Amino acid sequence: MKQAVILAAGEGRRLRPFTTNKPKAMIYIAGKPIIQYVLESLANNGIRDIILIVGYRREQVFDYIGDGKQFGVQVQYITQTRQLGSGHALGCAKGATDDEFLVLPGDKLITPETIADILAVSSMSVLIRREENPSRYGVVTLEGNRIARITEKPAHPESNLINTGIYSFTREIFNFMNSKLDIPDILNEMIEKGFAFRAVETEATWLDVVYPWDILNLNAAILHEIPGSQNGTIETGVTLKGQVSIGKGTIIHANSYILGPVVIGNGCVIGPDTCILPATSIANNVVIAPFTEIRNSVICDDVHIGSGSGIEDSVIDKGCHIGGHFYACSEETEVKVDEEHHMVKIGVMLGEGCRIGSGVVAQPGVIAGNYCQIKSFKNINGIIPDKSLVV
Amino acid sequence: MCGIAGYTGRRKARDILLNSLRRLEYRGYDSCGIAITNPGMFVFKDSVRVSDLAELLPQLPGRTGIGHTRWATHGVPNQKNAHPHTDCSGHIAVVHNGIILNYQDIKEELIREGHLLTSETDSEVIAHLVEKYYQNDFLGAVTRAIKDIKGSYALVVMMEGKHELVIARQESPLVIGIGDRENFIASDVPALLDYTSRVIYLDDGDTGIVTPDEIRIFHNENPVQREVLQTIWSIEQAQKGGYEHFLLKEIHEQPKVLRDTISEYMVSAEPAFGLFDPIRKPSIILLACGSSYHAALIGKYIWENLLGLPVRIDLASEFNYLAKIPSADYGFCLTQSGETQDTLKAMKRLKQAGVKVIAITNTVASTASKIADLTLYTFAGPEISVAATKTFTCQLLALYWIAANSPLLDTLKSQNMMMLIRQLPGFLQEVLNYKERIMEIADLIGSYENIFYIGRGINYPVAMEGALKLKEVAYIHSEGYAAGEIKHGPLALVGAKTPVFALVANDNTRDAMLTSIKEIKSRGAPVLAISSDSRDLEDIVDAVITIPSVDAIFSPFLNTLVVQLVAYYAARKRGCPIDFPRNLAKSVTVE
Repeated sequence: MKQAVILAAGEGRRLRPFTTNKPKAMIYIAGKPIIQYVLESLANNGIRDIILIVGYRREQVFDYIGDGKQFGVQVQYITQTRQLGSGHALGCAKGATDDEFLVLPGDKLITPETIADILAVSSMSVLIRREENPSRYGVVTLEGNRIARITEKPAHPESNLINTGIYSFTREIFNFMNSKLDIPDILNEMIEKGFAFRAVETEATWLDVVYPWDILNLNAAILHEIPGSQNGTIETGVTLKGQVSIGKGTIIHANSYILGPVVIGNGCVIGPDTCILPATSIANNVVIAPFTEIRNSVICDDVHIGSGSGIEDSVIDKGCHIGGHFYACSEETEVKVDEEHHMVKIGVMLGEGCRIGSGVVAQPGVIAGNYCQIKSFKNINGIIPDKSLVV
Repeated sequence: MCGIAGYTGRRKARDILLNSLRRLEYRGYDSCGIAITNPGMFVFKDSVRVSDLAELLPQLPGRTGIGHTRWATHGVPNQKNAHPHTDCSGHIAVVHNGIILNYQDIKEELIREGHLLTSETDSEVIAHLVEKYYQNDFLGAVTRAIKDIKGSYALVVMMEGKHELVIARQESPLVIGIGDRENFIASDVPALLDYTSRVIYLDDGDTGIVTPDEIRIFHNENPVQREVLQTIWSIEQAQKGGYEHFLLKEIHEQPKVLRDTISEYMVSAEPAFGLFDPIRKPSIILLACGSSYHAALIGKYIWENLLGLPVRIDLASEFNYLAKIPSADYGFCLTQSGETQDTLKAMKRLKQAGVKVIAITNTVASTASKIADLTLYTFAGPEISVAATKTFTCQLLALYWIAANSPLLDTLKSQNMMMLIRQLPGFLQEVLNYKERIMEIADLIGSYENIFYIGRGINYPVAMEGALKLKEVAYIHSEGYAAGEIKHGPLALVGAKTPVFALVANDNTRDAMLTSIKEIKSRGAPVLAISSDSRDLEDIVDAVITIPSVDAIFSPFLNTLVVQLVAYYAARKRGCPIDFPRNLAKSVTVE
């Protein structure tokens, strides 16, 4: 097995505002987009020939992945013009694949061990895992070590085994793509016609992000695995404890206190007297002004956070400019996404390029869209649509 | 300005040379050719693209060869004038980049001596000179031959049956790539990236002999060691990564390269700041050509207005004709490639006149950085498309960065400017996220044959850059004008078939821009506008492209991105060969 087809065309509607301008596979976790974890896991297992199916906001994938050399793989792009389903996406690769190949979702965070499990068996197999809450996934019913059927999002699951969306196939699969648009439906049809798919169970990392706040859980889980490293300039009186990774060209000004696991990217200016607490990831070209405290949050590229701010359990997307004394405190609160209500403990979920004045207070659970403008001293709450102006 | 390649080693030279030429095609592509010793000398050349040459070329097993991709200077593009050139016997083959100034004299003498010259090029004389001086010492013959030559050259010479290449460099770029029992030669690093990351840059006046196992370099006939450098460019960067054209890829890379440049400058840009002594304000000359000149014009505006410095600016190609070099403390010279012949010449003149020269270039170890007293690099990565985009933006960033960090700017303004610089990647991404609107306008623009771009103040150079992009990629006749000058002539050309693109900044030029637009509108011309504030505009123009609201001194970054995208999509609509426009080459290494 030398080749993999990665499906990265999907949007991830429930992750809005973070997927308004990028596909779900490009959501940043601990300083890297999810798809980078997938590519690195494949490269680590010697699979370097990658067919990447792109569609929704594909330029974001092009701009980041390029031809893949940087990640140890060689990428060939195929565009799925309309996102009709996983089977349809795979069908776009017909004619481009080897006899045997892996298929993986580009938007599930995995590690090299995850893939090693399925590579250990012959092709025509499905990687499965145990999940406490299986009903939001495809639930797998087994007969021995073979798949009997896959049932999508059942109200009453027959087992707690779910389909990870990671398969190893032969080209045979392309002969069954006529009517069905999703891979599980294609498999069910093939099983009925007498084909056998082996189930392989994994206990390795496989993390899904469905709602905006899932980003925080994944971030915390992955940060623990990133070793500390210091490439920037660290001024006197700075305290670094635990695993802290600091990128090149970054300056940590005097008296800042950073408690790992924390990742800080390239070209950032932090402090003086700033406090970064676990589990926080800060991307590239970010400024965190003095006397600010950030806890358990994800801060993306080009963000500016003013002095004296307090931010916890929050995700702040690229290019947001936030004035001083911004508060985003976390509390258990009810949030509505896609007509569903969720009780979650979060601070603020802020889309790309928001301009926020000084002294703004965000109530727990605010989800603000991309390019919102919020004037100084406003108190914001609830869902704020893209490009809103709060005066 | 041409691309040259050479290979000697254990593999088939044919495939390696073809691949190298493909990567050098941006340097010129009106004809190309390859010579291989197999062990007889085989030469294949024509006025075709490299992909067509690949089909003509038989599967020769020879392991030593040279190749060339040409951009005509002397003699029209045809088979006869394509390189490699051979001597009378056909045993010696040469590829050459540069210009031989005294080739007419040499040619006449060679003809008198009985040599048979078949092409109209200056390069062919080299093959015959080597033939003339050859007495069982290949390197010696080339060394003797170049003593007769006046001008610039990068040369690779090969001889039938010999597994060695002789090279020479004078004012034209040449690099050696080091392999394992094989060595590579090229005009530029991208041609080597598939094979090696270890390179040697030659200095002016160097000659050398390269075999599969050995590289010997001489300067003034004495052996010298040249440093082996690790390339920082990866091959990934030299490819299109999903995009249809390099141009669009490079436009889209701009947020990332600005971010990269910011983190590099956090550690490396400091030497440039000390030049701006607040007590004795230095006088400055800016020199550049092409798009770099437009970046320099914006730099002049920024340095004069924010730093209060006297800044003179010249086109490097015109500066070279000034009888007297104007007095100045520093000369800042902008060249993407670091090999632009006019700019290099101007740099040398400045240096001779005692002016301290600072190069701003994208190419490490380029000739510009060798001449300059100080080099400030831009970190745009390799730019393949002939039209400059990301390197332009990075040049702007360098000029703004210098202003923001200069001791002449007060600390508060400096802090504020740095904060705004850091926001640029996000603003550029926002413009890219809304490019559908720009595509609509570009489709419209693509259906016209004449267009004016107008701007005032800091956006006047952006109007010139917008017009240049439209000319070079979309083949639309376009002119960039200062809005106030429109009524002094161009208004006579404006009408229903000549739309005007107005760059409306939110600064003290806005009211005057609105007046200019109304003057044009009343002549029946379609008017399009780029602005962060569409108030008062939507009523008087036909369409507005709205950009994020930024401090007006940063508006050139966003407006430039818009005019780049307009040129790209207009060119695509018109079916132009976007990355390789006709008659143009990437770096202009001839006068």
